Amino acid sequence: MAELGVEVPGLALANPLLLASGVQGGTAAALHRVAASRCGGLVSKSIGPVAREIYPGPVCVEATDSVVLNAMGLPNPGVESFTEMMNENNFSKPMLVSIFGPDSQSVADIAKKMEAAGATALELNLSCPHSKPGSRALIIGQQPELIKEYISAVKQAVGIPVYAKLTPNTAQVSLEAGAALEAGADGVSLINTVSALEVDPYAGRPIIGNLLCGMSGPAIRPIAQRKVAEVALAMRRGEIPTAPILAMGGITTGLDVARFIMLGASAVQIGSALIYGDVDIFEEIENELTEFMDVQGYPNLESMRGIALDSMEGLN
Amino acid sequence: MTLATSPQTRKGDFDLQKLANICCERMATEFTKSGKILAPIPLPIMEIIHEAESVVTIWLQVPAELAAAYKPGQFFMCWNPYDAEGGMGRTNFNSEKPYSVGDIKIDRTGIDETTAADEGNVGNTLMGFTIKDLGRQSGELTRMSKGDWLALRGPFGTTFPTPTSGSTLVLVSGGIGSTPMHMMAREARNKLGNRVKIHAIMGFRNSSEAHYVPRMEGLCDSLTITTDDGTQGIHGYPTQPLEELLQGLDSDNCTLLTCGPEPMMKPVLEMAVTAGIDCYAAMERYLPCAIAVCGLCMVGNRLTCRQGPVMEGDWLLQQSDFGQHHG
Repeated sequence: MAELGVEVPGLALANPLLLASGVQGGTAAALHRVAASRCGGLVSKSIGPVAREIYPGPVCVEATDSVVLNAMGLPNPGVESFTEMMNENNFSKPMLVSIFGPDSQSVADIAKKMEAAGATALELNLSCPHSKPGSRALIIGQQPELIKEYISAVKQAVGIPVYAKLTPNTAQVSLEAGAALEAGADGVSLINTVSALEVDPYAGRPIIGNLLCGMSGPAIRPIAQRKVAEVALAMRRGEIPTAPILAMGGITTGLDVARFIMLGASAVQIGSALIYGDVDIFEEIENELTEFMDVQGYPNLESMRGIALDSMEGLN
Repeated sequence: MTLATSPQTRKGDFDLQKLANICCERMATEFTKSGKILAPIPLPIMEIIHEAESVVTIWLQVPAELAAAYKPGQFFMCWNPYDAEGGMGRTNFNSEKPYSVGDIKIDRTGIDETTAADEGNVGNTLMGFTIKDLGRQSGELTRMSKGDWLALRGPFGTTFPTPTSGSTLVLVSGGIGSTPMHMMAREARNKLGNRVKIHAIMGFRNSSEAHYVPRMEGLCDSLTITTDDGTQGIHGYPTQPLEELLQGLDSDNCTLLTCGPEPMMKPVLEMAVTAGIDCYAAMERYLPCAIAVCGLCMVGNRLTCRQGPVMEGDWLLQQSDFGQHHG
């Protein structure tokens, strides 16, 4: 039977299926519940400097059967409460702790507290606006200089590995990936949600409480695959440093996981699929992936990693 | 700001029934495709009825097949798209919360089946949401008007076990927990007629908040009202008459269902478990997304939106976070 184990900086995973940030993982009870499934690891909700309430609803809806729209507003218990929770709990799966903040110093402080509380790796959510005047129209992840500033600040503050979570909403994602890796990031996670908007024609207004939203679900998987391939190809060509890619975007099946691994991903994250199958989806996906690899004769993930890139090397 | 597309701003100046038919058809298409309503679909309010002090029923026209598929205990996310007072200091910043259905009826007004045009027309199906003003969002809903939009998505969640012939149902509600208990009594009676015994206890804070009493009287073999202040029925909580009721029942073929504040449901479930009676509660928790994403509606290690709202009483009694008031 195919071996699904994989090691990436800070995380030794029994399989490559991580819970994606922002889905269920904000409290001890929710994290234990997901950890009890067949996931390989957890990614927490993004934790900020202080507790934040969820936006008024609708916060998350299935707009059609493959499109999920959300604007949660980064609800989280805040770093003090979350580190206290980490000190009181041992989770049965490795956890990547997702963090965010309004400026690089604030994120570095949070990173330090997470490391002290036992975090073995961090994922830096770059999809929030910067507090600096003039920078608010764009999120941090759309500004390579700010990405460098954030990653450098966090890497100086902690010794544990740091992953940069990248947005797909830029012209050339390999530029942002390069900025993060040159500043010392140990890996990249992509993609965050795709900028979106939906209007109800009868009500004559957007259907999400925050008006603007992010899109996830199976419909964005081809977009995510292209973004992952762009980063992986830039690594192959030596344009940016080589590092593990945690890929995500619309994964619902074992075959979807194989697609991302073949495009160069080391592991994947799964979020919206929990709407369809709750935490049981991890077992379904794991079984499908194993069956696929056995039938195709792939003994482990490494044997199929990046093979779909071979035919694309001439692309720019 | 004037929004020409909102019935909220063009009251009385449009054909409500025609709009309701179109929206209902839109909902039917979505229901056929997905088995539920995934994204919120706005419906014009057909009627809004005063039930009691700060309690109203909002009637919406829905596809007959959606009403038929709805099971007592399940909930819809209800959203007023023009709720103007929502948070964050932004206009039109709205909110959405879960409500269970309180009643379903068929409106045959204006239908003449002797005419060719109305041949086979069984009437319009209306679903009633009975809402008590318990906070900002529910308060806004109680102040809506005929013709205003109310958007629904759902139904979501688990239901009560189906009652069987020869069984006894004990229904215990507190306050607005009346709604799933009424739907359960209604379904059991429709399905089993006299082959099911239904005993209900309804608790209210006072007589002016008492609602659904005539509805339940028509369905139950016995109905007991309690009020916290003694202004109607028994002075006290539903647990008092429940003790006496349970003593006279055969526990083997009996199921107790409850819905209301957790500090009321906890002793009710304890009494049922002590008496050896199967029991279930319809839970209410802060429930922002309804689709297993936000993870904020947990009871113990379960998500209320997916593994609830109906949960087994014996399981609930083992959860340390069950039994207190929740906002």
